[in-house]
Amino acid sequence: MQDKVSIPLFTIKNNSQSFAIDIINRWLDDKIARIIKQASKSLNHSEIEEIRLRINKPLIIRTHNKELFLTAFGQIGTMQNAYFVTREDVVASLEKMTFSSIYAVENDLRQGFFTLPGGHRVGICGETIVEFGKIKTIRNVSTLNIRLARQPRINVDILKYLIDGDKVFCHTLLISPPRGGKTTILRFLIKQLSDGLPSLGLEGQTIGVVDERSEIAGMWQGIPSFDLGCRTDVLDRCPKSVGLNMLIRSMSPSIIAVDEIGSQEDIDALAEAARCGVKILATVHANSLEELKKRESLRNVLNNRLFERAVVLSRARGPGTIEAIYNLTEGVMLTSGTMK
Amino acid sequence: MLLLGYAGLILGFGILGLIKANRIKNRPRELRELINALSLLDTEIFWGVTPLPEAFAVLRDRVEQPWKGFFAQLEIRLRKGENAFTAWEICCKEYQNKTCLLEDDWKILRSIGKGLGRSDRNEQHKQLQLAQKHLISVDEKARQEADSKAKVWTYLGFLGGLAIVIVIM
Repeated sequence: MQDKVSIPLFTIKNNSQSFAIDIINRWLDDKIARIIKQASKSLNHSEIEEIRLRINKPLIIRTHNKELFLTAFGQIGTMQNAYFVTREDVVASLEKMTFSSIYAVENDLRQGFFTLPGGHRVGICGETIVEFGKIKTIRNVSTLNIRLARQPRINVDILKYLIDGDKVFCHTLLISPPRGGKTTILRFLIKQLSDGLPSLGLEGQTIGVVDERSEIAGMWQGIPSFDLGCRTDVLDRCPKSVGLNMLIRSMSPSIIAVDEIGSQEDIDALAEAARCGVKILATVHANSLEELKKRESLRNVLNNRLFERAVVLSRARGPGTIEAIYNLTEGVMLTSGTMK
Repeated sequence: MLLLGYAGLILGFGILGLIKANRIKNRPRELRELINALSLLDTEIFWGVTPLPEAFAVLRDRVEQPWKGFFAQLEIRLRKGENAFTAWEICCKEYQNKTCLLEDDWKILRSIGKGLGRSDRNEQHKQLQLAQKHLISVDEKARQEADSKAKVWTYLGFLGGLAIVIVIM
């Protein structure tokens, strides 16, 4: 018997010009999709960053600098005349997003989010079922927050501050507030370092990514939604402390990239990786270097000089705005002022 | 000419009886096939954590008609973004007349659609197990009755035709 080739559940259109509309059509309930499509006629599609559906609350979309209430006719309205999301809207959207297979995203639900093809993240809230002190699942979902993933153009100049005189990548920490674009910059750096950048004399390097929250690569059914370069290996949904050791042993990377470090376990694992001679590229939530110094576990990291460079990001000119780059080894600021 | 007409009448009624008998004989086979398909679906969901469209694709390749078509339809509908309950209901309606199952059998099958894909793996497993248990008991009864009922309908067809001919004569 001839083997049948399995058809992927969903194929991502790489060159889709109106990809926000594709997402809205494919993953949202018909009524909600109609409203947002109508509203997006007066907006630039690329402006929509988030869509929030809360049962019995107004339908809200967020652009990079505004929060907008949408009416039932797809117009920009107020909190009073906005369309109020129903339970059916949320359930129908959730079913569309999971191909009517909520059990297939059971593990993700425990973390409060799951990833759609294309790397778009859907955050969920509802009634948690706790068993032996751990979240077993979430039922009666009451909120969906769809964050549209994008890979905007980023200035490659950032890289010249992150390599030393011998053209070796330095241990780098990206510091950013939530929605500040740290994962976007991280993705960009991973791709550039993986493929190599001849203009800076950088050769391509093997990169290992521990993608604990499936956000960096946006893996969907084993395939990354984002291009992370040709020498990148991704360990998806694996705890950082475990994954770092696994990658070092199995893939012998030159650089290891992780997102949102914070716990002492993460920091110990990173320090161990650095001792093995692997370069570290990590992100952390904070508004500034000063704020980071106030957090005990991360203050130690800075004092121990685990990281050689720190890049501070903000949303001043949209997500991914570079506020400053520090050389932590010498304690000097390499560049400041908003760069995008 | 008249004799030919009488023979045609007996043959016609006889064929109707045979068709009914055939449906009765096929019912246990279709029920068993359905139980196997649900068992496979249960495995795909519980152990494979396979999303429903892919699980239906597996079933489509592994089961015989009429269920092959039933699951193929489900797969197509779910891939288009239809929800499992609606797709299941539509397919049940569409295939009700294409199988030898009775209305009560379809009730059991329809009950699966209500919760399909809407809960965690354990819950899905329990629901599918329950449906399988129902169908197994229905299947046992259907098998016990199949032979005798099929014979009755075969004889009834021909004898019914003969009786009508006698009345006409």
